[in-house]
Amino acid sequence: MSKTSTLFIGLDGCTYTVLDHLVSDIPGTGVVMPFMKKLMDEGARAKLRSTPNPLTPPAWTSVQTGRGPGVHGVFDFIRSEDKGGEVYWTLYDSRDIDAETIWSLASRQGKTVAALNFPLTAPPPDGVNGCTVPGFIPAKHLRRNTHPRELFERMKQEIPGFDPKELAWDFEAEKQAMEALDEDDTEAWVRYHLPREEQWYKVADYVLRNEQPDLMAIMFDGVDKIQHQAWEFLDPALLPEEPTAWQARMRDVCVEYFRKLDGFIQSLVETAGPDVQVYFASDHGFTATTEVLRINTWLGEQGYLTWAKSDDSPQAMRREASDFANLDWDKTVAYCRTPSSNGIHIRVARNPGEAGIAPEEYERFRDKLIEDLKSIRNDDGEQVVTEVLKREEWFPGAHMDKAADLTLVLRDHGFVSIRNYSPVVVPRERPQGTHHPDGIFMAWGQGIKAAGMTPRRRIVDVPATLLYSMGLSVPEDVEGKVPKPFFDGAWLESHPVTIGAATLASSGQREIEEMDDNEKQQIIEQLQMLGYME
Amino acid sequence: MSTATDTSIPPEAILARLKDVLEDFIEDWDTELDAPIGRETMLLGDLEFESIDIIQLVVAIEEAFGKRKLPFEQLLMKDGRYVDDLSVGQIADFLHQQFS
Repeated sequence: MSKTSTLFIGLDGCTYTVLDHLVSDIPGTGVVMPFMKKLMDEGARAKLRSTPNPLTPPAWTSVQTGRGPGVHGVFDFIRSEDKGGEVYWTLYDSRDIDAETIWSLASRQGKTVAALNFPLTAPPPDGVNGCTVPGFIPAKHLRRNTHPRELFERMKQEIPGFDPKELAWDFEAEKQAMEALDEDDTEAWVRYHLPREEQWYKVADYVLRNEQPDLMAIMFDGVDKIQHQAWEFLDPALLPEEPTAWQARMRDVCVEYFRKLDGFIQSLVETAGPDVQVYFASDHGFTATTEVLRINTWLGEQGYLTWAKSDDSPQAMRREASDFANLDWDKTVAYCRTPSSNGIHIRVARNPGEAGIAPEEYERFRDKLIEDLKSIRNDDGEQVVTEVLKREEWFPGAHMDKAADLTLVLRDHGFVSIRNYSPVVVPRERPQGTHHPDGIFMAWGQGIKAAGMTPRRRIVDVPATLLYSMGLSVPEDVEGKVPKPFFDGAWLESHPVTIGAATLASSGQREIEEMDDNEKQQIIEQLQMLGYME
Repeated sequence: MSTATDTSIPPEAILARLKDVLEDFIEDWDTELDAPIGRETMLLGDLEFESIDIIQLVVAIEEAFGKRKLPFEQLLMKDGRYVDDLSVGQIADFLHQQFS
């Protein structure tokens, strides 16, 4: 019998549009996910509203903390800082999370945890009583970022066929998720995720059997990656009636992926044992995007930004080809940094001589920009930007100033392009998958009611629910709530939801501009302790 | 030798720690080195770094020295562009400058 009380399966980008289709009896195919069908029939579920920009890093961080991005401080894959003359880019990591995670909350209350393939879990966070194998980390860096380190060696030796290169994030390959690929590359892209997911299943199976953590959490991210490139073969509304040979192969490989995933889920649930509560959540849902908005092209045409002039040097060519906006910073007052942000940063001149608008101009400038953004139309005269979110309204918290000044919601929920191409709005050759704000939240097992679909929940409800499942109180400062419609009355009566002490302040964010003597002394002492100094 | 009140960190201690970080970093990379890691070793030219590896190295250095958000942009960017390559000596000098 497993000691695991709570099994949490993250399905990156999972949506009921696809899930409901794959648990139905499809003519000629049958039920692709029969085990998920059983769990859905016997369990409770709800739509899950994601973060304001429904994106993997901020959304999974909200799942891990129960806080919004303005509080936890993670907004994108790429962390960027405007240094006046240039924008410096790096990646968000676990140290950027400025809120206590569920891994820490459970650990310090005596529970053991396993967190496998979750974003922002590298470098290994402090205070984890259990193990973490991070997601979104290249194979070359997986060993150093696995906690405890000896777990990586054990997995290499004891998991048959364990292959870090197959398991881990391939940075170059993953960039394809957002690119237009030809038929062969699209098929190869989907196939690439089959062995990856099997590797993560093997790791999860190994950890579940050997560690038996109180909270066992695994995230499968192939769902998102495949949906980006193969949405038209998964959304029942878009399936081709008379598929070409390639379209038929694409449909088959998508079905194969989800059939295998169903098998992995069944195996994990059965290994966890009959007393377990099983939860599923996605960081966002999915839908089709049919057009591209080249936001920086538009901002350039409107006079808000100026593109950098290339001198055709190798460095300049590399910079041009990168995914980051390459601009003349002295002549830019509003720009979008990354496609995934869907955000526009407004440059404010805080000091004399700095580029940007005057601080007192900010409100008027921003209102005009919002008005201009909402006036963008496609060739059919349709409004492309349907909502413009102001950061103080959507990202309240200590890190609000790191959010884009404006976050765009497009009519098809697409992500913007930041490339310097014309025209501003262009139809896609074929529909592509993009993130929808409504993902999934489902529960099954002991104490869970066969409630079917219940009212929509918020993404911050997930960690509150997992803590409750482990018999722990929900901290008073966590934004989320336990979804009572998921549970049967007798269970709620014998397991009342309790509110407990506030979370601990995170030690991750240490922004100290100047190093004082005490800090230097600490580094000296550390080097001495490690034997680098006498 | 350092005293309790002397807060200058010897460059050789920084270089030694940095070399250990790099050796741990590339332990399972199958990189064939012509010489041991030293001041002249180049990240891209000798250790076969890719851009993502530099991001990871920044994290590993910050973790190893127990100091976050060091201004690595001063090292990685020149005239608004990212540099082509970096030597171990350049990184060690940068760290020494930060800790002096």
